[in-house]
Amino acid sequence: MSMRKLGRRQLLRALGGAGIGLPLLSSLGSGGARAQAVAAPKRLILMYTPNGVIHEGWWPTPGAADTEFTLNQIHQSLAPYQDRLILLKGVNNLVASTGLTGGPHQRGIGGLYTAQTLGQGTFVDGCGKTAGWANGISVDQEIAAVIGQSTALKSLELGVRALENDVQGRISYSGAGQPLPPMNQPLDVYNRLIMAPGFSVAPSDPLLAQRKSVLDAVGRQFDMLAAEVSTEDREKLESHHELLRDIERRMSAGTNGCTVVDQPPLLDPASETDMPLIAELEVDLLAMALACDLTRVASLQISTSLNRIRYPWVNSMGEGHALSHSFGSDADAAAQLVERGKWHCGLIARLCDRLSTIAEGDGSALDNTLLVYCSEISLGNSHSHTDMPFLLVGGGWHFRTGRYLELGGVSHSNLLVSLMNAMGLPAQTFGLPEHCTGPMVGLV
Amino acid sequence: MLGVAAVLALGCGDPELPKPPAGGSESLVCSEVTPGPSPLRPLTRDEYDRTIEDLLGDVSAPAQGFPPENEVLGFRNNAAANLANPLLVEGYMNAAEALAVSATSERLELVAPCPSGDQTACGRSFVRDLGTRAYRRPITEAEATSLDALFDAFLPISYVQAVQVTLTALLQSPQFLYRIDSWRAPTEQTGALLASRLSYLLTGSMPDAELFAAAAEGRLATAEEIELQARRLIETPRARDVMRSFHEQWLGLSLLDGVARIAEDVPAPAEGMADPVLVQSWRESFRRFVDHAVWNEGTVSALLTSPMMFVDQKLAPLYGESAPSEDFLGVERPDRRAGLLTQPALLALLAHSDQSAPVLRGVFVRERIMCIEIIPPPPTVNAVPPPVDPSATTRERFAQHTADPVCAGCHQLIDGLGFGFERYDQFGRYRTEENGLPVDESGEVVGTEDLELDGPYNGAIELANRLATSSRVRDCLATSFYRFAMGRTETDADQCSLDQVKQRFSDSHGAFNELLVAVTLSDAFRYRAAEGP
Repeated sequence: MSMRKLGRRQLLRALGGAGIGLPLLSSLGSGGARAQAVAAPKRLILMYTPNGVIHEGWWPTPGAADTEFTLNQIHQSLAPYQDRLILLKGVNNLVASTGLTGGPHQRGIGGLYTAQTLGQGTFVDGCGKTAGWANGISVDQEIAAVIGQSTALKSLELGVRALENDVQGRISYSGAGQPLPPMNQPLDVYNRLIMAPGFSVAPSDPLLAQRKSVLDAVGRQFDMLAAEVSTEDREKLESHHELLRDIERRMSAGTNGCTVVDQPPLLDPASETDMPLIAELEVDLLAMALACDLTRVASLQISTSLNRIRYPWVNSMGEGHALSHSFGSDADAAAQLVERGKWHCGLIARLCDRLSTIAEGDGSALDNTLLVYCSEISLGNSHSHTDMPFLLVGGGWHFRTGRYLELGGVSHSNLLVSLMNAMGLPAQTFGLPEHCTGPMVGLV
Repeated sequence: MLGVAAVLALGCGDPELPKPPAGGSESLVCSEVTPGPSPLRPLTRDEYDRTIEDLLGDVSAPAQGFPPENEVLGFRNNAAANLANPLLVEGYMNAAEALAVSATSERLELVAPCPSGDQTACGRSFVRDLGTRAYRRPITEAEATSLDALFDAFLPISYVQAVQVTLTALLQSPQFLYRIDSWRAPTEQTGALLASRLSYLLTGSMPDAELFAAAAEGRLATAEEIELQARRLIETPRARDVMRSFHEQWLGLSLLDGVARIAEDVPAPAEGMADPVLVQSWRESFRRFVDHAVWNEGTVSALLTSPMMFVDQKLAPLYGESAPSEDFLGVERPDRRAGLLTQPALLALLAHSDQSAPVLRGVFVRERIMCIEIIPPPPTVNAVPPPVDPSATTRERFAQHTADPVCAGCHQLIDGLGFGFERYDQFGRYRTEENGLPVDESGEVVGTEDLELDGPYNGAIELANRLATSSRVRDCLATSFYRFAMGRTETDADQCSLDQVKQRFSDSHGAFNELLVAVTLSDAFRYRAAEGP
């Protein structure tokens, strides 16, 4: 991703008198007394792209030691960050491969970050199989419930053409059957972040005092109603009330002097033309949200599983799902899939670039970030859930990074436990217990 | 099992034991009132916007920016699936703030008039009057007092500011945001609950003045009075919106967004695979058809067999009709179209991008129209549609299902329904030939356990006519509507209520307005289960 393009599209502007013309986002966090005073927070990002990957362009060439591997084509843009990567082969999505409800794409995406099977429902996949939502909370939300308490947003779900409101269109769940919708409009994301109390809204702003009074009054309405309704309804009201308390909590946060990216234009979340720009803007907004400590948990979902999206900006005019089925016999389809993969990894590289320019302690914000990437299936033409294309970036405070590991067939549920451990949760299991034996061996 | 003692009537006055509806000597009477659960549910986005329009006169429809509802069985109002999430709660907050600003700056006289000039007294009236309408039941004194305190805190700034802040709180209160039925104690407010049920079912919004008055005056205590109100509300334009919405949700039309169909003889849209203009036209054409079948003809038979199709300038050339000068025009094509299942929107939805989808169509008819569940194929099956082959028809290519004995068990139940639609391509265009070969549209209905339905037929029009007279199909529609009305799937406790609805619908020979009335007169609608202390 070119710096020039970004510079033209969205010149940085500074709030609170910070200088203009600094390297991209370089003042983020550095001016925050808060960031200096306490240890930098740890952050987790889950990323997703659809329809598997083309293996010929994905798996690295192993070397004599697991640290001596040669990156494949798709990962070339991540070469500057090779010592921060962990590429995993031999990780299987067992909840998806053994689940009985739904089609392989549905089971794959529903189980990817929940390690759960799907409920019954009427969402139809491309082959006429039906399913409902995933049967449990996703790992990002499990983690956000613990580490997201002190930030403006407990978590941030971003989507790029992730518009399908069914099991094929959601990766994050706050509970069984409770998917969290991603935000697909950069301007909405911007407004949500910029209006976050403690960010651009100062504690002395009358709007905050007014909101606080309103939320107090609303809270009393909740309390009065809760006494009058059934136990089951009271629980639902209580979880809603808790979300209001989250908003209230944020209001006591002070401004941290962060710099923001320019306000993005209003774009069409369904448009093929706008898609690459939306992706770039969301990466930049994500970097801003993390660097400003507006959230510590996020997900970035590039479209939805089994979709037919074209990528003209990398000269891929085929339909995504069809390409993923035909690469075996069609060299052009294979080449297009490599280009798509390179673009996906380019977004990761862009995020790394942004975070690495933000000073934190003796290093950068990238040192305190862990990104996990995967797709809902491994290979398009077989719908395989074996050798899932897991890629970890960062997390060096917990994992031994800069490695390519061939694990020979372990459950991806174990990896999700390792993510929890990396984020400070002392978990031993996650998701369906029969597919989880504890943290993944060999990562730390 | 719940006894009568644990059941509360929603009308005013004494809990009335269910009586047979007037004039229905053979109508079903339940031996015991078992209304099933009535969990609270958030207003859907559409309900929110309509309620705001009725409450504040604001047509900005802010809820369209809220995250979409989670669908269950196609329905967006399912109570269990729709809990608060952070984005939604923030959406409520932003909408409330914006609505309160525009209400006080543009419509203060409507929202909080103060002719007396006594601003404190006006504030009290505003909280009680608007509060009662916003909560769709008399606001309690405790609730009102709490809001008074908020009003008083901001009154020193200005009356406008105090109204604005208080309105912002009202619009974020759960009494406004949710439809609540599970009150622990029976109170005089229960008449308001029935009024609210009636108005949201039949108009998708809060009760109007007449319905509020009926509830307050205790006029919703008998079946006759409920029926009177229901028939009045069915005549309002909002009832059309509700029936459109029901059909779209029942049939899964929300999936039409982003649908892209291609064919050599259809110019591809300039950009992307989907043609949003075509999708909009398909959807509107479908809505017009529903309006026509439900309100002009009025029966399930018309829904399934009406030869009408509505085309605009975009659709007309695609379907071989002459283009109307403007808007949509209804054309009768008894030679090509018979009802819902032959509508372009539905046929295009139930297709692959470059070919028809007999399996999807067969599954759809069996599951959605007949309410027969199909066991999904085993995980080992790689069910990718066979590639398009210019030397064969779609039917020939899909015939492997029934040739392979492993697949045949299930696919004989599906394909015999789907092949009947082979005269409609991936756009829903009528065809008699495919790749120069004649299209075989013969099919067979198998294994429905219904002698009226089973048996061979030739083509979708004959199939539609058979479905139109089937009690299974009529009951399926009644069940689907019941789920939509209750915001949940039925439980064992609903059995008798559902039977009441089916019977009334059947007695009326499948008249839609009788279906709507039947739901409002069912035990599940008129009563609620009471939770113990």
